Amino acid sequence: MSQPPKEVIKFEVNGRTVEVAVRPYDVLLDVLRNELDLIGTKRGCDQGSCGCCAIHMDGRPVLSCLTLAKWAAGKKITTIEGLANPEPHPLQTAFETCGATQCGFCTPGFIMSAKALLDRNAEPDEATIKEHISGNVCRCTGYLQIVEAVQKASEELLEKDRPHDASVVERNRQTHPAGR
Amino acid sequence: MTPPSWNVIGKPIPQVGSRQKVTGEALYTDDLRIPGTLVGKILRSPHASARIVRLDVSAALALPGVHAIVTGKDAPRPFGVLPISKDEPSMGIDRVRYVGEPVAGIAADDEWIAMEAMKLIHVEYLPTKPIDDAKQALAEVANAADKIHPGTKFGNNLHKMVEQHFGDLPKAFSESFHVAKGHFEYAGISHTFTEPMSAVAHFDRDGRLHIWSATQVPHYLHRAMSEVLGLPMSRIRVIRPNVGGGFGGKSDPFPHEMIASLLTMRCRRPVRITFDREEVFISHHGRHPSEIDVAVGCDKNGRLTGLDIDALIDGGAYGSFGVVTSYYNGVLAQGPYRIDNFKYRGRRAYTNKPMSGAMRGHGAVNTRYALELLFDECAEKVGIDPAEMRIQNALPAYTTTINDFRITSNGVVECIEKVRDASGWKDKRGKLPFGHGIGLACSFYISGSALPIHRTRTPQSTVHIKIDMDGGVTVHSMAAEIGQGSDTVLAQCVAEILGLDVSWIRVKTEDSDLAPIDLGSYSSRVTFMMGNAAIKAAENIREQLRKAACRMAGGEPTDWVFRDAKVINTVDPSKSMTYMEALDEALADNGALIASGWYQSPKLGGAYKGAGAGLSPTYSFGAYITELHVDTETGFVHLDKIWAAHDCGRALNPLAVKSQIIGCVHMGLGQVLMEQWDFNHRSKGNIRNPSLLDYPMLTAKEMPPVDVFIVESDDKEGPFGAKEAGEGPLLPILPSVGNAIYDAIGVRMRELPITPASILRALEAKKKGKS
Amino acid sequence: MILPPFTLHEPKTVDEAVALKTKFGKDADFVAGGTDLLCNYKYEINAKPHVISLGTVTELKSFDTTRIGAGALLDDVMTDSGMRRDLPVIPAAIGVISSHLLRQTGTVGGNLMVDTRCFWFNQSKFWRDSISGCLKSEGDACRVVWGAKECVAVYSGDLAPVLITLGASVTIAGPKGRRVVPLGEFYEHDGIKRHVLGEGELLVEIRIPTEARTWKASYRKLRTRESFDFPVLGVAVAAKVDGDLLLDAHVNLGAVHTTPLSRDGAISQFIGKRIDEATASEIGEAVADGLVIHNNTAMTPAYRRKMVAVFTKRCFLDVTGKRAVAETASR
Ligand SMILES: Cc1cc2nc3c(=O)[nH]c(=O)nc-3n(C[C@H](O)[C@H](O)[C@H](O)COP(=O)(O)OP(=O)(O)OC[C@H]3O[C@@H](n4cnc5c(N)ncnc54)[C@H](O)[C@@H]3O)c2cc1C
Ligand code: FES
Ligand code: FES
Repeated sequence: MSQPPKEVIKFEVNGRTVEVAVRPYDVLLDVLRNELDLIGTKRGCDQGSCGCCAIHMDGRPVLSCLTLAKWAAGKKITTIEGLANPEPHPLQTAFETCGATQCGFCTPGFIMSAKALLDRNAEPDEATIKEHISGNVCRCTGYLQIVEAVQKASEELLEKDRPHDASVVERNRQTHPAGR
Repeated sequence: MTPPSWNVIGKPIPQVGSRQKVTGEALYTDDLRIPGTLVGKILRSPHASARIVRLDVSAALALPGVHAIVTGKDAPRPFGVLPISKDEPSMGIDRVRYVGEPVAGIAADDEWIAMEAMKLIHVEYLPTKPIDDAKQALAEVANAADKIHPGTKFGNNLHKMVEQHFGDLPKAFSESFHVAKGHFEYAGISHTFTEPMSAVAHFDRDGRLHIWSATQVPHYLHRAMSEVLGLPMSRIRVIRPNVGGGFGGKSDPFPHEMIASLLTMRCRRPVRITFDREEVFISHHGRHPSEIDVAVGCDKNGRLTGLDIDALIDGGAYGSFGVVTSYYNGVLAQGPYRIDNFKYRGRRAYTNKPMSGAMRGHGAVNTRYALELLFDECAEKVGIDPAEMRIQNALPAYTTTINDFRITSNGVVECIEKVRDASGWKDKRGKLPFGHGIGLACSFYISGSALPIHRTRTPQSTVHIKIDMDGGVTVHSMAAEIGQGSDTVLAQCVAEILGLDVSWIRVKTEDSDLAPIDLGSYSSRVTFMMGNAAIKAAENIREQLRKAACRMAGGEPTDWVFRDAKVINTVDPSKSMTYMEALDEALADNGALIASGWYQSPKLGGAYKGAGAGLSPTYSFGAYITELHVDTETGFVHLDKIWAAHDCGRALNPLAVKSQIIGCVHMGLGQVLMEQWDFNHRSKGNIRNPSLLDYPMLTAKEMPPVDVFIVESDDKEGPFGAKEAGEGPLLPILPSVGNAIYDAIGVRMRELPITPASILRALEAKKKGKS
Repeated sequence: MILPPFTLHEPKTVDEAVALKTKFGKDADFVAGGTDLLCNYKYEINAKPHVISLGTVTELKSFDTTRIGAGALLDDVMTDSGMRRDLPVIPAAIGVISSHLLRQTGTVGGNLMVDTRCFWFNQSKFWRDSISGCLKSEGDACRVVWGAKECVAVYSGDLAPVLITLGASVTIAGPKGRRVVPLGEFYEHDGIKRHVLGEGELLVEIRIPTEARTWKASYRKLRTRESFDFPVLGVAVAAKVDGDLLLDAHVNLGAVHTTPLSRDGAISQFIGKRIDEATASEIGEAVADGLVIHNNTAMTPAYRRKMVAVFTKRCFLDVTGKRAVAETASR
């Protein structure tokens, strides 16, 4: 098979600017895992049907298994490794204390979905939480404790009165994951 | 009963290792980065049944970037998790028996090259007529060579047949007030853990083979690899990184583990094989597609008189755990009700499909569904509340069943009462408007198989503890943490005995070079067996600390209690010291403390053939109630609420028990309402839905609220009174849904999954008076 | 899983995109969000050596309640307050497309163009090879209908039936300039041919007549789970009503045919009638009558046909205010 050449792209991942050589047909998931050693992002299906590979691209939760690596050029990527800062994010501790993680393989994806939700909506109701985590599947927990964990984190964040960043919401609206 | 006051036991602490999981630090097999690792790929058979006429890998081997290719001839010795059915080759040798069976393995620089190489391997097949299902497999085969496994003792494609009869069933039925009978059919289902199987193998320059694998049974893998690869066990090291769920689906040694090993032994570079989702379905070893005839008799007071079960299960191409499944479909119906006349026939057939094996609730789930539905039919005929009838028929604690199971602690009645009262059962059952219903069902499950798979006198679980001058407690065991929380149990048991909190404990359960043998995570054995071994080891090391305390401060060894990292003298508190002080003394002239503990289950059971199947040192019990409504126009079932009570002896960690129960509810709801391993004769032996899109597991949106009730019957032999909570809680959810559907619309659904279409068909049949 | 090698092109304008597509012809595919195309590519389904990414074409992205750029993101359209106010059926229908995560990158244009689906086709290369492929992939025989010469893969997008009932049209750009085609005439039979797009053409925008806002509309979707699953039936109804009096109506079915299927012909007799439970049922039966549904997706044809009647009935009760209009378009 003749393979088109690699091209160096530059993007920000977890606050750090990186340059990597990627093939036009590499998906971001592979580049994160194999080139950048960001193995926290998981591959459960490679077909958009599990949510294990969810990351944020310019604040939006997207599936890295269906995102071409080249689309990341110039973007801000956040992976699960970027949430603890350095203390774990309240969502992360809530997943622990609520029993929302068992085998943990789905967990990074769920946390990324939940984080995007809380960035948009600091006080989501149960139905909204379920909607926002319904692009992720979990075979271990049965979801209820995940919902509980998101609620708990939301309460904790509200208590800390950390205003959620309105500009992020606005930016989310404007950028397209495949656009520059 | 006032529960004893413990420091760590009974506390809802987060899972050991959860910090790594939520931050993305946790390493799973595919996350390992060993320099020089090659990509391994498996060429698979496109035929369900065929002879391999020619296999030529030379062109593929010549492709630049290809480092090794192996085929069946490189490791002809078959393997299997059970010593009695070692029938699976690493790769098909002269024939293939299911679509997707491995035929060759390739190690290459990258995936693209491996894929390219796959296309260059030339295989000539002579397809033969496949056996599609278990019924077909019953037909006599004239020529033994035409059987899927020529060596079996049957004249057809049966793999195993078991028959048991206790009491006098014909007599019992003839004297019964009512005998409820039904033919039940079940689609096969899949574990669908989120982490695809993955194995990394490295044959190092010292000639030692290291394998990292997503497995529930490192020890069985260790044994099988030794046999297949012809290396002594001492030259193999099995490492189990974090495992992204198993549920029985990672509890066999697998061909890909052999293939990765063969490849690295050939090219001496680390080789990684990680499955895509389709390969996971192909290798699934899920719940057997089954047809089960069940008859339940009762007298006019609602006392059960007898139970007759005839199960035909579709085993697929190889044995896996199938011999055990063949027994479990019958014998695990021996509780929670007293049944004195019992007859069982179980047959497992070979077919040309990926094999079925063990899945959460192994063998018990399908029969349980039938039994509980027929139980409700009996209650209806007798005219008695099904909850009351269940209480009446419940086995007492500390008794023996007709097939010689020793029943110890038993909280089933308390479970029934809990969910009955919490759900408003009495005001709802039979009283909700048409379309709305409520249903109850119970469970009974083993807490570890009393008999180990291999005949050996080595204990079923061994735990080692080492404490050095830093005070940290290192605990070794090969018990496989697969997400169920066994590392947490291990840490809690040791911490409790030593009066420390869990942060002192370092659990090391990955590496066979370091940790002593535990048989693995199957049959719900780990908490019970490993927990007991851990307690023993910790007690042993505590003894050493006690002696040191006496040396330092005088007094008797019995004077000391361990709490809050202190060693407290109960007679003279002024003598108390810190844990570190006691440790310092204990280490003097001695060096690091070490201790070992083990568990071996007591000798149990009867003397008849098959008496070992289903024997367990103790059993778990449970009762669930489901409330739902049926959209009678579309046939969709909407779940309103579940009340779930489970007797786990003692909740060592209530948070973990709750998680297990809710997870079981989720998985069981999938089987009862939507999941099926879809075969179709036109798909030529292919699974029609080998993806997470087409094989539907419930999403958060389908999941109903669950009220969890933990019942603690305090098992006398369990670690701190505990028994299992990982599989039993799956059993009652399916029939509680089935019974609730009956309450809602008056039809007993005898085919799983219950699809909207099947509900409409049943309603129509009922309208025509055929139900 | 890997994607088969291709060269990626990232045009900035519609003209550049058209030029690239004209140049590479059948050797190129457009990709927008990639949530359909890349899945198929991973299965090595009709993969091309050139892929033209539309994410960099800014013209395609904007939208308002009269026009939606083909590149507008599903989630953005769904959460837009103007849309929710003026054309609530569109956000409702988008809300049941794929999953929350997929809607973050999936586009409206990609949704209209989503490839037809079939159990015998949406499988890995290995799987398809083991049945020797089918008309739509590498084979030469249909696996669904014995001896069929035309592919019966099912149109499984959610939005098209809704937009068709609202009278939407699409603007198409091509080497010869732009043209506007009513969406109802955009799709063409056969699961392989699918639509009228010609050499070098691409979808630029969807236009929705302002009159649509005065219509009542409903969409109901049949699938096993409330997330992920493609429709195995979608019923879209838009109606001009005066209370329960039906002045005019359009019905379009998704996921029962190779294209969205208009059933306007089946309901003409009900125009001018008052809609109650009984007439709604009659409409349902009329719409289901004579439908040929093939067995190539989840759920049986017989059941899906039954549901055509039930869902159509429910939609008509929705639009005449007999049922609370569901916020999402589930069953
Ligand atoms: C797990 C899963 C579940 C799904 N469930 C659903 C579902 O329930 N309902 C549903 O409708 N869809 C579903 N989809 C499909 C898909 O996610 C959506 O249809 C989505 O809207 C496609 O948009 P996209 O931008 O990602 O399309 P892409 O994948 O980028 O493109 C899809 C097709 O459209 C073509 N195309 C894209 N833009 C243009 C254009 N401007 N002009 C010409 N051609 C163009 C591409 O060449 C390609 O053939 C699902 C997908 C997955 C993976
Ligand atoms: S791996 Fe991306 S959705 Fe499953
Ligand atoms: S925790 Fe195991 S899949 Fe979610």
